Amino acid sequence: MELEKIFHLYKRAGFGTTLTNAEKAASKTKKQVVDDLFQSSTKITPLNVPINEIKALLKNNSGKVSKDTRMQLQKLSRKKLLDFNKKWIYRMGTTNEQLRERMTLFWSNHFVVRDRNIVYFQSFNNTLRQHALGNFRDFVIAVAKEAAMLNYLNNQQNRKKKPNENFARELMELFTLGEGQYTEKDIKEAARAFTGWRHNFKGDFAFREKIHDFESKTFMGKTGNFDGEDIVDIILGQPQCAYFISKKIYAYFVSQEVNEDHVQEMANIFRLNYNIAKVMHHVFTSKWFYDKSIIGNKIKSPTDMLVGMMRIVPYKFKKNKELVYVQKLLGQELLNPPNVAGWPGGRKWIDSNTMMVRLKLPSVLLSDGIISFDVKGEFEDSLTEFNKKKNVGRKLDVESDWNFFENEHKKSSQAELKTVVLGGNLQEEAKSFMDSLEKESKTEYCIQLMSIPEFQLC
Amino acid sequence: MKRRTFIKRSGLASSVLFVPNFLKAHNELWPANLGNKKLVIIQLSGGNDGLNTIVPYTNDVYYKNRVSIAQKKQDLLLVDGEVGFHSALSNFKNLFDDGYVTIMNNVGYPNPVRSHFRSTDIWQTASASNEILKTGWVGRYLDDVVKDPVGAIEVDDMLSTMMKGEKVNGIATKNARLLYNTTKEPYFTKVLENSKDKHLSEHNLGYLYKTAIDAKSSASYIFEKTKVYKSSWEYPKNAFGKQLKTVSEFINSGLKTQIYYTSLGGFDTHANQINAQKRLLNTYSNAIAAFVNDLKNAGTFKDTIILTFSEFGRRVKQNAANGTDHGAANAVFLMGENLKNPGMFNAPSSLLDLDGNGDIKYEIDFRQVYTSLLKKWLRTDTEAIISGTFEPLDLV
Repeated sequence: MELEKIFHLYKRAGFGTTLTNAEKAASKTKKQVVDDLFQSSTKITPLNVPINEIKALLKNNSGKVSKDTRMQLQKLSRKKLLDFNKKWIYRMGTTNEQLRERMTLFWSNHFVVRDRNIVYFQSFNNTLRQHALGNFRDFVIAVAKEAAMLNYLNNQQNRKKKPNENFARELMELFTLGEGQYTEKDIKEAARAFTGWRHNFKGDFAFREKIHDFESKTFMGKTGNFDGEDIVDIILGQPQCAYFISKKIYAYFVSQEVNEDHVQEMANIFRLNYNIAKVMHHVFTSKWFYDKSIIGNKIKSPTDMLVGMMRIVPYKFKKNKELVYVQKLLGQELLNPPNVAGWPGGRKWIDSNTMMVRLKLPSVLLSDGIISFDVKGEFEDSLTEFNKKKNVGRKLDVESDWNFFENEHKKSSQAELKTVVLGGNLQEEAKSFMDSLEKESKTEYCIQLMSIPEFQLC
Repeated sequence: MKRRTFIKRSGLASSVLFVPNFLKAHNELWPANLGNKKLVIIQLSGGNDGLNTIVPYTNDVYYKNRVSIAQKKQDLLLVDGEVGFHSALSNFKNLFDDGYVTIMNNVGYPNPVRSHFRSTDIWQTASASNEILKTGWVGRYLDDVVKDPVGAIEVDDMLSTMMKGEKVNGIATKNARLLYNTTKEPYFTKVLENSKDKHLSEHNLGYLYKTAIDAKSSASYIFEKTKVYKSSWEYPKNAFGKQLKTVSEFINSGLKTQIYYTSLGGFDTHANQINAQKRLLNTYSNAIAAFVNDLKNAGTFKDTIILTFSEFGRRVKQNAANGTDHGAANAVFLMGENLKNPGMFNAPSSLLDLDGNGDIKYEIDFRQVYTSLLKKWLRTDTEAIISGTFEPLDLV
């Protein structure tokens, strides 16, 4: 398999690879390389920050906690969520289970939640990880039973006497079928089927019979005493569901300019048994995934950018808050999606301000550059905090491991460096531009390559 | 690696190549019929407690629900037999007495959301509560009418959803020189050097280069146009005062930008609200009065409308921590010299007919306010800007 294609595969299906690993893979066939990628993600390694303290606070409680305990919980949780954010970024930047982590990131922008409770959030995130390459039916049901989802889309308030349609609506509109593929009546009937799906204070799923609607429902032309799982089965019976998910996968992994034939090809495979790994394997072994028009034409998300750099020059934020600062400036604070539809991605990442930050970031993170933009505060901030914003030039406390880079590239040519940092599919004009860059030292050349618009693509 | 070396080496700098075209470009692209009307939008971020701002001092329900945080009649700046302003709003009250303020009560939307994030999203994208829009209403105005990033400036360092269109995004800056200097740094210059009519294809790379050029061009236009004029008006020495001073300098130096957006944060008063809100309203009132007087002095107030909103109001019943929790409909302020209906636009809520959460029900949809401003102030159709049809109000 050609180097160019190996880097492409690893950037899209994972977060990037080293020249050493890519060269090892170069003697294998495409199928072997893709199989290896799947092989290294067979294990499921949950991502956990220590939460014993919080669990202890939750343990002997039925939900009626004192105000003090609640405050204590919120404070601890906020801190732990920062830890989780950082740990997640490092996981993506260092793991060998690249495909599983890439899929987890993808699904986190499909099944979108926000939760300020670390116990609920962490559990949700690991459910994404667990099912990331599994069966889509099991996945949807598992997600529907997670505390973070039950809260975020108000199913916790969905009772027979007073149904709440929020979850039922998004289940169809965003998670499985897409807009316009169901009626308002379908939403109402589905909402009834999910009444009583709740979680307890600890965050475990707890079905409450008393508030569940056991009466007959008519959903998408079928009538019965449906519960939530039946609704999911009826939805998955629609060919539209396999098509909708395939299209979303295509837009994310291949291109936002969707090729209907290719999506249909994927949908036909996915529909058979909703096996996520199978459809992904098809994408990565297809010929069209490696087309010249596809390679290097995806705009990196801020997370791709941060993690991708880490794969080339490992670095660490010494302060959690500075990671969040950078994520905010780039427009993707990992645990705070804008709404239930998630980040729209693609060109929506880019405006004049984020473009400036993106071009500047490599020198800020990897060579002590100064940055003087303020981020927006939190809604909860006080006036005193609001007044602190001052546009002061700041250096970030980041520890970068240039030794790793230098060891890795002792023998690399400039052309190889270019392939590692930017990939192989560069336009003709860009090549002459690269040649005009100063390349006295490899580290300098690397930062320069990272500071041009071409690096924003993968 | 030494950063200085990078700057020195890559900054070989023929930025001269690019400068001359920028000012020209903005002149050429700017629609001829736009007029010189300005709209300044201010968000009181966190959810201002409208009930303790515009106080219904004759309503017993108010006092019953606000046992420890109610504003007493003798402290208020009385407006009429029904409401009085919070005592921290004396400068704001002067503007009101001069006929420069319209206060709309009970502004909101059906099925209100009580999350800061989502409700801000709703106000910024002008969506219904169960509708997700990916672009902001000001962004769509740029797409549809102005078609130029400098059509809307957010006085901040990050661009909010409100300012993002499908094709055109506004630009964020609270310091034109800083923004300009950023585009003069070596990595930026280098990029632009390379971009002379290259890459500007439909390929995503073309989009990136085009955005970088736009950024440079906008930053340069804003800086060049505003660098000479400095406001001599005295503003409160705090972040919000500084932001409004920047807006005034942008407007008064003749920048073509029509829409400005900025915010004041700190209104999420769940606990010990009395002092916190007093400081906030005082900050707002003093800065906004300086701003209005500065514009009046420069002769630009007659062409400016200022809209102040908050993502939601707060619960009628106070909580146990001498604060208030997230609510729903709220008061919205409009300021300008030639308002159609200065004063109280509509009566405050009776507080007897609340929603299931004990929050004020909306009477005016916020999209009616946007529609009024777009149609009657900015003089444009709203079909491509506001999702749905909303009856305009007699405001401007």
